[in-house]
Amino acid sequence: MNAFALDTTTAPSDETVKAERELLLRVDNVSLSFGGVKAITNISFDIQKGEIRAIIGPNGAGKTSMLNVINGFYHPQEGTITWQGQVRRKMKPYEAASQGIARTFQNVALFKGMTTLDNIMSGRSLKMHRNFFWQMLWRGPAEKEEIEHRRKVEDIIDFLEIQAIRKTPVGRLSYGLQKRVELGRALAMEPDLLLLDEPMAGMNLEEKEDMSRFILDVNQEFGTTIALIEHDMGVVMDLSDRVVVLDYGKKIADGPPEEVQANQDVIDAYLGVSH
Amino acid sequence: MFYREAGQFKTSYKADQALLPILQDRIGLAVILLTAFVLIPVFANDFFLTSIMIPFLVFALAAIGLNVLTGFCGQLSLGTGAFMGVGAYAAYKLTSIFPDANVILMVLLSGVFSAAIGAVFGLPSLRIKGLYLAVTTLAAQFFLEWCFIRIPWLYNYNASGAIEIPRREVFGVIVSGAEATPIARYFVVLSITAGIAYLMANVLRGRIGRSWMMIRDMDIAAELMGIRPLQTKLMAFAVSSFICGVAGAMMVFFWLNAAEPSSYSIRLSFQILFMVILGGLGSLAGSFLGAAFIWILPVILKFVPGLMGIDMAAETVEHATFMIVGALIIFFLIVEPHGFARLWQIGKQKLRVWPFPY
Repeated sequence: MNAFALDTTTAPSDETVKAERELLLRVDNVSLSFGGVKAITNISFDIQKGEIRAIIGPNGAGKTSMLNVINGFYHPQEGTITWQGQVRRKMKPYEAASQGIARTFQNVALFKGMTTLDNIMSGRSLKMHRNFFWQMLWRGPAEKEEIEHRRKVEDIIDFLEIQAIRKTPVGRLSYGLQKRVELGRALAMEPDLLLLDEPMAGMNLEEKEDMSRFILDVNQEFGTTIALIEHDMGVVMDLSDRVVVLDYGKKIADGPPEEVQANQDVIDAYLGVSH
Repeated sequence: MFYREAGQFKTSYKADQALLPILQDRIGLAVILLTAFVLIPVFANDFFLTSIMIPFLVFALAAIGLNVLTGFCGQLSLGTGAFMGVGAYAAYKLTSIFPDANVILMVLLSGVFSAAIGAVFGLPSLRIKGLYLAVTTLAAQFFLEWCFIRIPWLYNYNASGAIEIPRREVFGVIVSGAEATPIARYFVVLSITAGIAYLMANVLRGRIGRSWMMIRDMDIAAELMGIRPLQTKLMAFAVSSFICGVAGAMMVFFWLNAAEPSSYSIRLSFQILFMVILGGLGSLAGSFLGAAFIWILPVILKFVPGLMGIDMAAETVEHATFMIVGALIIFFLIVEPHGFARLWQIGKQKLRVWPFPY
């Protein structure tokens, strides 16, 4: 694995790469277009194990498209994606899930008809294996398996402080709580890489503080690598270890928050300069 | 006040995950089962069993079958009638080929055939959703109905084109054919329906049931959680068609004694769909309530004028029944678009806080 870390000498951010850290994911020269629209043009960056990596940029910069490429929703026309040292072939989203990539959505994508508990339990789907026959009988192995996973889910419920809404259908919850349940659902997958698409969008200050705390806790206590898209610059600069900035589908900066903040291209992109 | 779970503490996840975690619900179910298995057989007359209970249970099972597909997995289907027909014809062929085999076993086995055919017609569901999928299942309905008419082998080259159920005994009791007693038929139908309902309740609360609901509620997110859409949908189609097939076989074996292709027409599909919608999508109890409403209410209504001493022509009663049932369906759907199951839940909530209005 360390060979890969050495391999990144060509990447522009190599001064900032901590050599002892392993690479979890590397994106090389990826381009994605829909017909004539180029969503992503020739982007390369990497995500190291255990870091919080932010992807920022103005609206329409290709951030969400980038996440969709990472979890297998879109297939880039060019470029390669290296996941844990293996170049990834074209894959379906459910394969990405089974390899350990979990994700939350910009506009909450919970299972509206199910309770909080069932939503988080659904994150355990890949780890449950009892077949139809045992499920029908319920007594015995299926019930045992259900209880085993329920215990894990209850840990997550405790961690996110949502005990009181365990049995509430998620459709009835407030937006902030729904985002929290969605994070819980992703955590239930025990992912290696957690993709968060605007986890703080539409939240008030208090909810943002809570969410930031959860993100840091997840990162530090469970050691989960996190890639997040966020528009709140204060949050991004405080939480993330490294930031990659996209604009019009191109990468314009990559590095630690302070460095990115000072970058003239980034300032231009956000303030708007004629291209 | 009457329905309060205060003081019922659960000390294990096992107790918390029980099918009916609240004591009052368990008592209620016990009363229903006692009524169904003991009181009704003891006190009911033949008419009540043959015209009300047996068809009600058959339709309830078919409604459970469609509910699995439409209510839990979110795939709209208009082919229920045809899948029930597949079950009926398969069971008929099986019992013709193996006359000595246990007929109840043959009825259950016939579900395997309808499951296979249901899965085949479920294939388009990977690409097509909603009303468009309903149209492809409509194709199943017409194609299978055509098969029932045009393939004489299915009805043993019978001159009338109908299937007539032969006399079959199970452990010395006649359960099918014209001589079978209503009570024997009733017990067979009740056991099969109750058994399948229990097994499905288990499936629906576990991993597989959740994966169906994930697909129903947000298929994109489900896929990102590792659910394979095609596999999951086909499984729902297969399980749903299995149950519908068994219901269809029971319909002809233990209720009608004979069936023509037109017994399994699009009309039946709609009837079952109305039961599911009116009872409540995504609710097993709702399937029973919906079936009761659509089947039992008209039967009872037909007797109301006679009991009240009003002299009406039979056709007038028939038409009045149609109008009243139709109006009631519209009324209930306006009151509660989510069906009887939701009404029942609201009722439970009201009972919990009774006598206070809040």
